Amino acid sequence: MSEINNLTIPEIATIEEIKDEIVEVKTFYLKFDARPNGEPPAIKSGQFVMCTVFGAGEFAVSLPPSPQKDRFHLTVRRVGKVTNALHELKVGDKVGIRGPFGNGFPFEEIKGKNIIYVAGGIGLIPLRSSIMHVMQNKDKFGRILLFLGARTPKELMYEYNLKEWKTAPGFETHITIDNPVPGWDGEVGFVHTMLKKKNIPVKDTVAFVCGPPMMFNAVIKELTELGIGEENIISTLERHMKCGIGKCQHCAIGRTLVCTDGPVYTFRQIKTLGEQI
Amino acid sequence: MYLIKKSQVSDIAKELQKEYQVYGPVVDKETKQTMFVKADDIAEIDLAAPIPAVPPKHTVFPHYERIMAYNYDPQSKKVDINPDFDDKPKALFGLRSCDLTGVICLDRFYLGQEFVDEVYKNHRKKMFIVTNTCNVPFKQCFCVCTDSGPSAREGYDLNLTDLGDQYLVEAGSDKGKALAEKLGLAKADDSYKKKKEEIVDESILKFDSIAKDNKAWVSRVVNRVTTGLIEEKTWEYIGNQCIECGACSFVCPSCSCFNIVDSCTSATAADRIRTWDSCSYEGYTRMAGGHNPRKPVEDRRSKRFFCKLSYSQSKKYLRPGCVGCGRCQWVCPGDIGLPNVVTYIRREIQK
Repeated sequence: MSEINNLTIPEIATIEEIKDEIVEVKTFYLKFDARPNGEPPAIKSGQFVMCTVFGAGEFAVSLPPSPQKDRFHLTVRRVGKVTNALHELKVGDKVGIRGPFGNGFPFEEIKGKNIIYVAGGIGLIPLRSSIMHVMQNKDKFGRILLFLGARTPKELMYEYNLKEWKTAPGFETHITIDNPVPGWDGEVGFVHTMLKKKNIPVKDTVAFVCGPPMMFNAVIKELTELGIGEENIISTLERHMKCGIGKCQHCAIGRTLVCTDGPVYTFRQIKTLGEQI
Repeated sequence: MYLIKKSQVSDIAKELQKEYQVYGPVVDKETKQTMFVKADDIAEIDLAAPIPAVPPKHTVFPHYERIMAYNYDPQSKKVDINPDFDDKPKALFGLRSCDLTGVICLDRFYLGQEFVDEVYKNHRKKMFIVTNTCNVPFKQCFCVCTDSGPSAREGYDLNLTDLGDQYLVEAGSDKGKALAEKLGLAKADDSYKKKKEEIVDESILKFDSIAKDNKAWVSRVVNRVTTGLIEEKTWEYIGNQCIECGACSFVCPSCSCFNIVDSCTSATAADRIRTWDSCSYEGYTRMAGGHNPRKPVEDRRSKRFFCKLSYSQSKKYLRPGCVGCGRCQWVCPGDIGLPNVVTYIRREIQK
């Protein structure tokens, strides 16, 4: 069924540019060596790839928005052995890519609805891909809101995008930081506390939530209290992944495999999996 | 159906050796354990040997294998990737039906889902399977409960059944038939069909008197395991018994989890290694950064039994994930082999 021919053996890509995002987070722009014009394979927003850092290993990473329009890039935080090795690489170095894998965001099913994005910290990375898609097809959706929380102003991701989104027509952005900091004149407080304050739409609304487990649970609680149904809360899950094709079983949650059935799930599905997030 | 004299049964293996690497049950002289290994000398293969201590799973899914070697040169920025799939022709001679069922489970899981596993496909490409009917069940097994024995019904090329002074040889594929014809085996008439049935029935009846703590009536617990209606304290008890050694996964003919690591062989070269992995290990689900959604051991332990007993997982194998070889019961230092877990769950249901 699959037309992907890099299931087991990675394709080689060259790092064209490296951009510093925030502390410990960098964006790597890639060109695919073996494809015409270095263009990436066709991908859907919400999917992921397995990225090989030669000599270190392989890790799963979420994909950028419509790489046909923007250049193919991966935003990666330095956390473990392999991501550390990736951060050491320079422009011109090679990485390996397998994929894309996974299901992607259900844009067809949510046409015409209001959309609320709730992101915590680097949870914005996977959601940005969805935001960009929605922004490009704004006429197909209702109100679009973004709630973004970070520990400090320095940890706000994608500043250049945020600037653009703040002024974009039909797009409401609410940014908050955890504790007051001199020089910050925006909102202060955890991101879930903002939801009730801001009078968000509840009818015909879909919420995309992504962030650390603590924040995730608090946001879900608020959203369901406000009356947004569990089937209308969408999230993308993170798991330890090795193969990406549903064989190694490391990403199993209950009866589903995050790599082939996910990584995008509704909260209703997540609840029935019977495991921690 | 064909017949072959007991003294000549090794002719089949010798014929196979011309084309395949022949694997078979070999009794280790020192430890007296049966191992399913490559036999360069066919005389070493003992068809009457007890069930191998480790299943022949390693012939299709080695516990440690290189799937790719790569060389990267940081100076010239050149990367060479060399896939390394093992597609050597292998013949499994004297496989027990439970172990064959394990291979069938792996086939359906690795080849029959959305994606096909290239590494596994190459192992399975050229393979000849000769199974061996169990006239007497071994003391730890329970294939009667999991519908995987005592005689193989599908998936073999040749099946042997011990008739005393000779073996009944059934061909399960064109490949098997061709080999039997080539060896000029004597044809067996239809009366042997009945004879084989009697042997199988007798073997099933013997199970009841031989089996002690390994009567695992898996179908009774499938419902509970699938719906998750098992009390937390049952899993906690099972979790407390587990010492997280992973032995149950490694001796299981149908356990298919693996890990992938890149291991550097020199300053510029590395091998991508695929190894067996076990869901009982704490690091199995731990992500970079330390978050682990399955930290407590009972959370992890229940997953193995979910894999073996639940309906959702059975859909992938088209049969229960457990093949009834009894090895997990045999090796488990914590006394939580599959038959025992089934017993604990049934005890809970009866309360």
